[in-house]
Amino acid sequence: MAEPIVSLSGVHKYYGDYHALRGIDLDIAQGDFFSLLGPSGCGKTTLLRVIAGFEDVTEGTVLLGGQNMAGVQPNRRPTNMVFQSYAIFPHLTVAQNVGFGLRRKSELDAKTKKMRAEEALEMVGLKGYGARAAHALSGGQRQRVALARALVLQPKVLLLDEPLSALDKKMREQMQVELIRLQRHVGITFILVTHDQEEALIMSDNIAVMFDGEIAQLDDPETLYRRPKTRRVAEFIGTMNFLEADLHDDGQLDVQGLGSCQVSPEQMTAGVSAGSVKVGIRPETMGLIYDGETTSRRVVDAVVDEVVYYGDMTYYDVKLPGVDRPMTLSMKNLFGREVLDVGRNARVAWDPAALVVFPT
Amino acid sequence: MKQPKGLALYAVIYLIFLYAPIILLPLFAFNDSSIIAFPLSGFTTKWFSELTEVEALRVALFNSLFIAVITSILATLLGMMAARASTRYRFPVQGPIMGMIMLPLVLPEIIVAVSLLVVVVQLLDMPLSSWTVIAAHTLICVPFSIAILNGSFSNLDRSLEEAAIDLGETRWGSFRHITLPLVTPGIIASLLISFTISLDEFIIAFFLTGNAPTLPVYIWGLLRFPERLPVIMALGTILVAASIVIITIAELIRRRGVARAGQEDSGGFL
Repeated sequence: MAEPIVSLSGVHKYYGDYHALRGIDLDIAQGDFFSLLGPSGCGKTTLLRVIAGFEDVTEGTVLLGGQNMAGVQPNRRPTNMVFQSYAIFPHLTVAQNVGFGLRRKSELDAKTKKMRAEEALEMVGLKGYGARAAHALSGGQRQRVALARALVLQPKVLLLDEPLSALDKKMREQMQVELIRLQRHVGITFILVTHDQEEALIMSDNIAVMFDGEIAQLDDPETLYRRPKTRRVAEFIGTMNFLEADLHDDGQLDVQGLGSCQVSPEQMTAGVSAGSVKVGIRPETMGLIYDGETTSRRVVDAVVDEVVYYGDMTYYDVKLPGVDRPMTLSMKNLFGREVLDVGRNARVAWDPAALVVFPT
Repeated sequence: MKQPKGLALYAVIYLIFLYAPIILLPLFAFNDSSIIAFPLSGFTTKWFSELTEVEALRVALFNSLFIAVITSILATLLGMMAARASTRYRFPVQGPIMGMIMLPLVLPEIIVAVSLLVVVVQLLDMPLSSWTVIAAHTLICVPFSIAILNGSFSNLDRSLEEAAIDLGETRWGSFRHITLPLVTPGIIASLLISFTISLDEFIIAFFLTGNAPTLPVYIWGLLRFPERLPVIMALGTILVAASIVIITIAELIRRRGVARAGQEDSGGFL
């Protein structure tokens, strides 16, 4: 990759005795939509604030655009931030908010500043809102003002701290699409902090999954979902069923409840060796086979234990023979397809190639 | 919910008890008799004109105003620093430190007054003056100022200052352009409360004032002369009227500030 726009190496951060960041090495490419994903307390926000300059590192270096940021205050860094609370200045108008960062840019004349602020507002779909009082805006509009206020300064990196968490579901989905479009339009590197795995998968080019102050896995969304490197990542991203299994040296796998099959080396995560293992299988890689249907996939008999109907999808918990814990599988509710009742016998199709093998 | 009838009666009696003495002030201030008793004997404004002729009273008034103004500014400045520190930062022994600063709120004033007198006269060997009163008044006003400003500062999203810095402002610039305008209502409230406390504070002023008495001390001195009582009534009338005007103005400014900042109006003076 060309010179990364953000480059962190060996970054540690302590708060007193608390080790918040434990040796972060991270390169982010110019123009990337990058997400830091993890549960609360994993250090993702701390990492974002380290990049912004609001926290200094206890150890390690932070490079932005190839320049060492040690001792550089946030107001001198080529980053701008969209805060979780949006931090819209309530006593100023929308135009004053967007123009706030431009005031100190003496190289621009007043006319250019005004024009750029208006352009930024137009970009986020708030054309003509300039004269409004900021405190009278709705949540979605505040978010847009926060975006315009940061983007108007044309930063090298835009930092977004859980920007969508305060919005309702509909608004959030709409803003996700708009953010992706906006990022493509401006070409600025976006770093998004989120605890919502779905949001990260939808929006990002690359995702770093963080647990306990460490990056557990850094990959593009598809790889992350299909080939999680650890069970913890697998459980955090989407839903994963786990089954006990026995692995033989020749790649044969005896899976409890499913039977024997052959797996390839790329299905195995680090640390797997012959013997007792755990096998992960995603709900959507399995399916119900209805009466009269045929399939080339492997099929096992099961009993429906629980049905959760989502409208477009139905999630079934099914019990496999000899397995105590039910497995979750999902079916698209195609037209004419019957939703099975609890207690019904069902035939479950699965695919050996969809399995991921983890150490126990 | 239906409310019991007795409560309304209680509220009326309560308000009469609270305001009757204050209503008596203007009544006797305009009464043409030096004896404070009913029936009233006629309308006069001579007590007010007498007020303006007493040189010592004018001196005491200006002395009090001077002390109150300086005190309110000092107490509010110190209160701002303490309130910002306690709401924005975590530091060692923060709890005890803030507790000690707030303590004068509940200390008996007579104790504060006596101990300050000892410190100033015995230990520091300083002459008593308006400045010793200012120092003491600042001490008792700071806790009030902190209590008021703590509210303003903790209402403030701390991302706001960070956002301003992130957008290129300096620390001072973000304080001046963002924080200061948003806590202005609190600052005005603090100035006003400190001003009022200092203006009518008697015990400390009585102990620490030098040869330039404050207004309350002067009024106390007047009480020894019953024939001067109507003049005090006139003075009290003016003070009450002034207080109402000041509080009204401050409340208007506060409400405008709250509306401008789009914050929830969480009470005020009126």
